[in-house]
Amino acid sequence: MAKKAKSRTISVRLISMAMTGYFRTMIRPRVHRPLSMLKYDPVVKKKVLFLEATKGGKAR
Amino acid sequence: MSAATTTPSLLSKLPPRLLNFFARYPPQVYSSAVTPRPEVPESAQPAVEAAEELPSPYTPDRDAKGHQRPDPKAFSSSRALLQHADPKRPNPFLPVKNFRTGKWLSPRFGLRQQADLVKLAIRYNVEELLPLGPKSTEYKETRRSERGLAVKGTGIGQKVKGHKWERTMEARLEDRRKAMVEMPEMIRAWKQRGHGRGWKKWPKR
Repeated sequence: MAKKAKSRTISVRLISMAMTGYFRTMIRPRVHRPLSMLKYDPVVKKKVLFLEATKGGKAR
Repeated sequence: MSAATTTPSLLSKLPPRLLNFFARYPPQVYSSAVTPRPEVPESAQPAVEAAEELPSPYTPDRDAKGHQRPDPKAFSSSRALLQHADPKRPNPFLPVKNFRTGKWLSPRFGLRQQADLVKLAIRYNVEELLPLGPKSTEYKETRRSERGLAVKGTGIGQKVKGHKWERTMEARLEDRRKAMVEMPEMIRAWKQRGHGRGWKKWPKR
């Protein structure tokens, strides 16, 4: 029996690099490179770098 | 003790509730000033060195929490305060045991009335004219000195455990502060490497 097809997009978690525990969830194509962007962190009340959290810490 | 009897001006100042009480229970007989104090036996000296052996509340052994129930038969000076000095004139603030029937008779004044009377007496500075009771300052002080501030964690060698967020708060704030100090440099490096194209250190989930 064939396996179920993987979806084209995945939801990823972007973690604030200010170490506040704040994160945003986004949807990106599975084949895209990991997301990273400057976004507002309400805990430190500043724009900080958000990086995608990878499962197992491995990134392409 | 004889403040009320020697100064008629004070008598006229006292509220009728106290005056009625003193008329019924004259201070010469009933007041705490004339009540004999119990003698502390030699064996009942407080054990001070026991406080050193108290384990901290972090000990995994549940039985070794440092909380020991006091021996109910041990001498207690606060309990000894509340004894009837003269069985023929029972203290109206204490319950009386009828030894023939074995039944207890409630105190003449309930705790609420006692508290009212004591507060009133304190306001007019005549508390020592009232009989000793569970609401009197002397009893409360003796009991406090005996039992300490019965608040967990405030004893010698004890700590308040607190919530986890309280215990880890300092370390987390320090992490955050360090991260914010390095943030401009991090953003600069991120922009330099093509906004994440050459980024190697991705955080773990």
